[in-house]
Amino acid sequence: MGIVIAVISGKGGVGKTTATANIGLGIALNDKKCVVVDFDIGQRNLDMILGLENRVVYDMVQVMDGEASVKQALIKSKASENLFFLAASQSKDKSVLKSSKVEELVLKLKEDFDFVILDSPAGIESGFEHTIEFADAAIIVVNPEVSSIRDADRAIGILDSKSNRVKRGEDVAKYLIINRIVAEMVESGEMLKSEDILDILDIKLIGKIPEDRGVIDASNQGKPVVLDKKSKAGQAYNRIAGRLCGKKIDMEDIEIPDSGLFKKISRIFR
Amino acid sequence: MFIFNFFKKKKSADIAKDRLTIAIMSDRKNSINYPFMDEMKEEIINVVKKYMGVKGIEIKKDFDGDFEALSIDVLLDK
Repeated sequence: MGIVIAVISGKGGVGKTTATANIGLGIALNDKKCVVVDFDIGQRNLDMILGLENRVVYDMVQVMDGEASVKQALIKSKASENLFFLAASQSKDKSVLKSSKVEELVLKLKEDFDFVILDSPAGIESGFEHTIEFADAAIIVVNPEVSSIRDADRAIGILDSKSNRVKRGEDVAKYLIINRIVAEMVESGEMLKSEDILDILDIKLIGKIPEDRGVIDASNQGKPVVLDKKSKAGQAYNRIAGRLCGKKIDMEDIEIPDSGLFKKISRIFR
Repeated sequence: MFIFNFFKKKKSADIAKDRLTIAIMSDRKNSINYPFMDEMKEEIINVVKKYMGVKGIEIKKDFDGDFEALSIDVLLDK
């Protein structure tokens, strides 16, 4: 039986889909079988980030309606044979999802994969509620910016009340990813420090991603940035995937700007 | 030292932290995200339904001085 992780955020545009693609591929590269499912009905994007947009034949809603089997709809990634992808429906509207059908699909995927990662739609409407309902854990993505953090707190509140695990009296694990950190701005006091964000939201950190031009360059090509060994963001996603797979990897301090050895040493004595 | 700090402009990240702390505290206070909410709604509807037609139900949290109150509006079927 695999583990189901919902990737959520309060606000859109914080890098949720990019995170889903990279964590999924990172996990697959750690030799675990992983499936990423795009739950953003009507606005699918995960296929583009993974470079699989031309391979989509059947989508998730067709599987739930019995028009296609899970096997027919799953698309194997080009980058790893451990990674599979299930597309969101492009045409139908968000209200098509039914709790019982979502549960059926999620349970089926859990049987065949070590990790089932659900890319939730932004906002806190029904689509969002369906992704958190059957999740064992959630990854919340924020940017170090006020509106994203405030909305994330609301999303966490809903997670804590609508998740089936919570309703059964169990815990749903929650992990935070802080995305698009600019070290220079944190240093000069123009951007929230990660410790402050953790203080405010009161949840566990699973990784910090630096702002990195490589991310857009990677999505242009449909090759998730985790494949780019030189990219700082790619390395950060690789560490997160490793942690999810149970490896012990220390938190890297990406909030100190890269500015030569001397400055770094002088900071130790400050 | 105190005087220097007094004239130094406050860093925007610190302002962000203060504002967020207050905004989120008030958001959490006003939210009614209880795990039992859906079930409770269902039960209230069923109780009222025994006596009259019900269209729906709305639950809000109110504050009156030191008191917190749930205000429950039951919409009736005409």
